[in-house]
Amino acid sequence: MVSDNISKQVIKYWKIFALLLFCTVLTVLAVYVDFDVEGSIAGGIFVGLTIAVFKGYLVAYNFMHLNDEKPMIYWIILVTLVFFLILLFIPVMWESTLVGKY
Amino acid sequence: MDIKIPYNEDLRPDTGLYNAKLGIWLFLASEVMLFGGLFSSYILLRAGASVWPPIGLDGQSVAHLLEETIGLATFNTVALITSSVTMVMSWVSLKMKDISKFKMYMWITISCAIIFLVVKYFEYSHKIHEGFVPAHDTYMALYFTMTGLHVLHIIGGLFVLVYFVMPDGIKMWDDEPIRFTNRIEVFGLYWHFVDLVWIFLFPVLYLLN
Repeated sequence: MVSDNISKQVIKYWKIFALLLFCTVLTVLAVYVDFDVEGSIAGGIFVGLTIAVFKGYLVAYNFMHLNDEKPMIYWIILVTLVFFLILLFIPVMWESTLVGKY
Repeated sequence: MDIKIPYNEDLRPDTGLYNAKLGIWLFLASEVMLFGGLFSSYILLRAGASVWPPIGLDGQSVAHLLEETIGLATFNTVALITSSVTMVMSWVSLKMKDISKFKMYMWITISCAIIFLVVKYFEYSHKIHEGFVPAHDTYMALYFTMTGLHVLHIIGGLFVLVYFVMPDGIKMWDDEPIRFTNRIEVFGLYWHFVDLVWIFLFPVLYLLN
């Protein structure tokens, strides 16, 4: 029973590996597609980062076993994510006044 | 007198985890903030730049070199993703009590890490040779700081990986197999995190310019 579960897990890990490689190819191909909206490259950035977030989710959920963890771990991640997002969005608050400054 | 450290194998009743696992997740939380600070700087500097990558004082931009290195960076991404899956497979091998497969997967992981570092060496030397040093412009400063910090994590991880397959590291398997399996799981979490960081560095620094 236990070895059956492990065998299923192994198959899943290799499928995730294949999916990650496929997403990597997609990320690179996305560079050559024109997602620009009114001269801005925001569309391309959005597509690139969306694929990256999906790949990150695959790694964290499957390889880091976040699909089956204890509540304590989820709390640590939640608090970290909140502060991480605050850190990321601090510069955005200044964005409009900074263009062309550096 | 031997003092046994508690909760190396048993789960603590209050957290439901063994201590090392709680420890590594707290460490990874601090790592998220460390890299988060750099990503935040990237957003700030990029939002403030009229041209990206910026043009340096010599009138040159690294943009053309980046296009040339997309292939190398993609190759490195594949190497790290492969190392991530072999890392998790080495842990699975221990769960299946197959030490020879464990060693095989660990050596593949080590090889992927070395390949990553060798490719990075060629990438760095090519850029430096062309005059694109950290002082060239804000993009190059960010590029070397972010990838350099990531490379330091790979090098640190490589030492630990090698330790686990050397006689001194692996001998724990004979006396305390559960503790050794937990060690590999904890190190695996670190290694997957390093892979995760690269998953974001790759598009941010190489593709979205």
